[in-house]
Amino acid sequence: MAHDTEFHVHHDSPEAVGRRERLGVRLLIVADGAFLFGMIFSWFYLRNLNTNQAWLPKGVHSFSTASGWVAAAGLIVAGIAHRIGEYNKAVRNATALIALVALLVGGYYQWHQMAHMPFVAQDADGRPFFNGAYASNWVLVAGANMFHYLIGAFVALGLVLRGYRTKLDPTLEEWRQRTAGSWFTWIAVSGILCALATSFK
Amino acid sequence: MTTLSHAPASSRPVPNPQKSLITKLNMGTGMVLGIIFCWGTYYGMKAGRDMTDSHNVNKVLLMSMFAWSVGFLIGIGAFIGPFRWLIGKDLTDEEQLYLAGDGQGISRYFKYCTDHKVVGIQYLVGVMALLGVGGTMAMMIRTNLATPGSHFVTPVVYNSLVGLHGITMIIAMIIVATGPFGNYIMPIMIGAADMAFPRLNALSWWVLFTAVPVLCSAWFLGGIPTGWTAYAPLSDQAGPGMNAFVATIIIFAFSTAIAGMNITTTVVAMRAKGMKWNRVPIFVIGATISVALAIPAFPTFMVAMIQTAMDRTIATSFYDANLGGSGWLYANLFWIMGHPEVYVILIPGVAALMEIAPVFVRKPLFSYNAAIAGFAGIAGLSILVWAHHMYMAGWMPSLNGPFMVTTEFISVPTGLLFLVLIGTMWRGRPWMKLPMLSVYAFIWDFLIGGITGIYLSDVPADNYLHGSMYVTAHFHYTLMGAALTGAIGGLAYWFPKMTGRMLNERGGYISFWFVQIGFNVLFLGMFIAGATGQPRRVADYAHLFAHANLISTMGAYSVGLGMIILLWAIIHSWRSGKIAPMNPWGAKTLEWTVPYPVPLVNFDTPPVVTSDPYGYGRSAK
Amino acid sequence: MSDHDQEVLPPTPGARVGKFLGRSDVRQTFILGLLYTIVFVVLGRWIYPHWMPRVLSKQMQANEDIMIWFTVISAPIAGVVLAIATKSFMNMHRGDTPPEEGIAIRTNTPVVIVWTATSVLFCIVAIVWGLVALNTESIAAATDAPKSIVVDVTGSQWAWSFYYPAQNIHTHTLNLPVNQPVTFNVTSDDVNHSFWPVQLGVKIDANRLVTTVAHADPTATGPLDVKCAELCGLYHAYMETDGAIQTPADFSSWVSSIQATGGVQE
Ligand code: HEM
Ligand SMILES: [Cu+2]
Ligand SMILES: [Cu+2]
Repeated sequence: MAHDTEFHVHHDSPEAVGRRERLGVRLLIVADGAFLFGMIFSWFYLRNLNTNQAWLPKGVHSFSTASGWVAAAGLIVAGIAHRIGEYNKAVRNATALIALVALLVGGYYQWHQMAHMPFVAQDADGRPFFNGAYASNWVLVAGANMFHYLIGAFVALGLVLRGYRTKLDPTLEEWRQRTAGSWFTWIAVSGILCALATSFK
Repeated sequence: MTTLSHAPASSRPVPNPQKSLITKLNMGTGMVLGIIFCWGTYYGMKAGRDMTDSHNVNKVLLMSMFAWSVGFLIGIGAFIGPFRWLIGKDLTDEEQLYLAGDGQGISRYFKYCTDHKVVGIQYLVGVMALLGVGGTMAMMIRTNLATPGSHFVTPVVYNSLVGLHGITMIIAMIIVATGPFGNYIMPIMIGAADMAFPRLNALSWWVLFTAVPVLCSAWFLGGIPTGWTAYAPLSDQAGPGMNAFVATIIIFAFSTAIAGMNITTTVVAMRAKGMKWNRVPIFVIGATISVALAIPAFPTFMVAMIQTAMDRTIATSFYDANLGGSGWLYANLFWIMGHPEVYVILIPGVAALMEIAPVFVRKPLFSYNAAIAGFAGIAGLSILVWAHHMYMAGWMPSLNGPFMVTTEFISVPTGLLFLVLIGTMWRGRPWMKLPMLSVYAFIWDFLIGGITGIYLSDVPADNYLHGSMYVTAHFHYTLMGAALTGAIGGLAYWFPKMTGRMLNERGGYISFWFVQIGFNVLFLGMFIAGATGQPRRVADYAHLFAHANLISTMGAYSVGLGMIILLWAIIHSWRSGKIAPMNPWGAKTLEWTVPYPVPLVNFDTPPVVTSDPYGYGRSAK
Repeated sequence: MSDHDQEVLPPTPGARVGKFLGRSDVRQTFILGLLYTIVFVVLGRWIYPHWMPRVLSKQMQANEDIMIWFTVISAPIAGVVLAIATKSFMNMHRGDTPPEEGIAIRTNTPVVIVWTATSVLFCIVAIVWGLVALNTESIAAATDAPKSIVVDVTGSQWAWSFYYPAQNIHTHTLNLPVNQPVTFNVTSDDVNHSFWPVQLGVKIDANRLVTTVAHADPTATGPLDVKCAELCGLYHAYMETDGAIQTPADFSSWVSSIQATGGVQE
């Protein structure tokens, strides 16, 4: 052994690696879920307290309920598209692309909303502020959605690009489809919960 | 994803993946890029902004801090793996072997190294540095409090000392056992070749690393006025130093989430053949429950910090009552994280001592099941008790009763931990080495910490004690007396495996007594001050409390001295201590079956486990 | 603890317990436990109260009772733990080689059950005690409300101010008549503070734009310290004032003296 100048790399079975990765991602989803819980808690807690009658001060505009669901639509479409591709290998390249496009379009919509918020007011010095606790919570929820769009798009882009590679281990890639499926499903669920919360104005 | 070769490192050439960027990156390139990002962001954002508006100042500072962190991580190569995944060109075997630090000697400690043993040592050194910084601040706090009149520092500095001492120590304590031992020892203990996600392991450390300069920058930005709990709306009102606090926590939360998921996955999925759940060493169980509890707990703190950041930068009003916000929101989010977190800190320390006790008493661990029930019970209950920190907040007085019930019930699983330890000692003949001494210190210290917790959880008593020095004394008994004592015991125990040398015994003993006696003097004095009615976090106090405070300060200096001796013992032993045999304590867990230096893949042949590691003792008829 | 101790186990549980109690190590542990228990009882019953400030209200009395009696109740449990630890410590082995193997006791189900049951019992005592105290207090707060004297308390960085609506006086010291319940309506002008009239043994946070309520029943006259128990920034340590629980006559004359100066205390 002492003069063995060769080094070698043992591979764990792709099955084991894939399982492990999925567990890891699911644990991260738990963490993200706790984050979502914190946001929703904030939403309803402040809404309920309505300190100084300033959850939605008089005359301040809110977003329509529908717009909240539109903002979640990209996440939902991507989630469904991915699931279809996960079970039907033949259409996988196409569904991956659909997921990617849905996430990009949805992300753009979310960004557009954030750039046109109706509840930003100006103080005496002309400096902008968020008028009320609803406004504050809304922007946090939108930001979290945006974060999901970005991470989702990264994963979707990876799956699209990897779909064209041939040198990858097929078993492991199959597992990675499932792992990504956990993530896409989660961000869709999270988008739905956010849309639900934001419809309580 | 791969298991690497186990031929002796010295006999192999350093792998040299051709043209690969990863061979050129290290901590230095990370620092350079981090600083460029930071300054670029700072000057770029400052230009054209009205910097008389504190919101803009906060915006610029926060973004510069995050830019530093991201720049550093890019510079050290943290994102090469994800990028290569993205484009479908996964890292080659050769590259992975290079990342594992194979044959790279000392330099791998300064690289994005995926070997769990390297990460363990990095954490160990990092923890010691944090404890050193936090401890120095503690000495300054106690010096100021030695006599009434606040002669040593100004109130601004005092408040910053209290807050930064607190958060530095909390961060240090969260990683003190799971960082070094969870990374270095635990994978070997379960017979694994590495962690489940070696690159994420490196990531968790280097992310944490980038938080340290950010935290330190608080000093140069005017300090923080809020204490470690960073209550709102005081944090909204606070000066620029507060940004450092906020950024540190957000960065740290990423690190713990990654580390927690990595450790949990490793233990769930990579145990040696035959290591059924009832054969897993108790330290592994404890560490896993601890990090698994952190995974759902910490993100609410992240939410709270992001809200703080938003209030301070873009003028939202989460905590501004004028505009519909509430400090109670912050307090809830904080303690939903905060109470589980104290057990995240406690459990690995206790678990380390449970690993130690059977070895030195030469008896099986008493009631392995009770130990697990204790840990699991604590973890489960700990998410239902957070509002015992808010009895006097007035947020919902009708919930005080229910929260009192859940809180008091935590003493049942806590009691099981005591039972396991004293049951293990019962009729034993303990080998009084340093690690075992820590077990005894733990029993005394945690007994006091736990019992005082019971008064605090009783609402009528907390009416008086809340916000007083009594609370400070309580949680130091638990955090320092229990968790840190456990971690120091763990260090004395695993030092031979981590460094190849024995920890200097005489230095260890002297330090132990200075620390433990000093510690008890320090915090018994603080119990008296609290019972007498001294609020906590005060730079100055009435003459009534003078004796108690002077006693505390004397104790603190003794702890400080003891810690310096311990540091000396560690450095001295690491460099020139007695060479350790493979299994100096005669223990039965797997880490003692591998030589030092531990081979890259830990085991020549994957071990097979046939029993739990507590088969000590002769049978009683 | 010599070997022949466990050679033959007596046939009946009763005899086994008898034999167990007869063992010398068990006896020594028992004596140690008794000593520790006595130390804790003394600490709780006689030393704690000595540290705590004068009791000026029912609430403070309730606090002190808990501090005393919880210490007394937990003394035997602490005693058992410390006695076993001490006994084993005294039996230590030193040197560079491990001691001989101990006895392979993996677990002992009756012990685990008894231990758990005891701690549950202890918990229940603590909980019931706390709930009863809590309940007594909230009933008192409700029934006392009509006869209470009301004080509006405002915290601001870094001072306390008080307004007595019925008397229409603004003060910066807190004087109260003995034997009359008091209701504090507490709020803040800025960040969170925590209103703490020390010898009354109550405490409640002060929040901006919100009123929180605390209630106390002063039972004795004496000086009162008022402190802030929530870190509130730069001069938190100095956010304190004083006052007194006074006889009704003294209180009335204090009120009149302030009313005489326009209702605002100098
Ligand atoms: C028997 C178990 C315990 C009980 C019943 C208990 C109870 C409590 C209660 C009721 C408080 C709130 C006091 C107040 O602010 O008025 C408290 C504070 C605290 N406890 Fe414990 N505790 C226990 C164990 C622990 C452990 C094991 C740790 C840490 C390892 C810990 C760390 C803390 C900390 C850090 C605080 C104060 C946080 C702050 O306000 O800065 N406790 N404890
Ligand atoms: Cu707690
Ligand atoms: Cu204060």
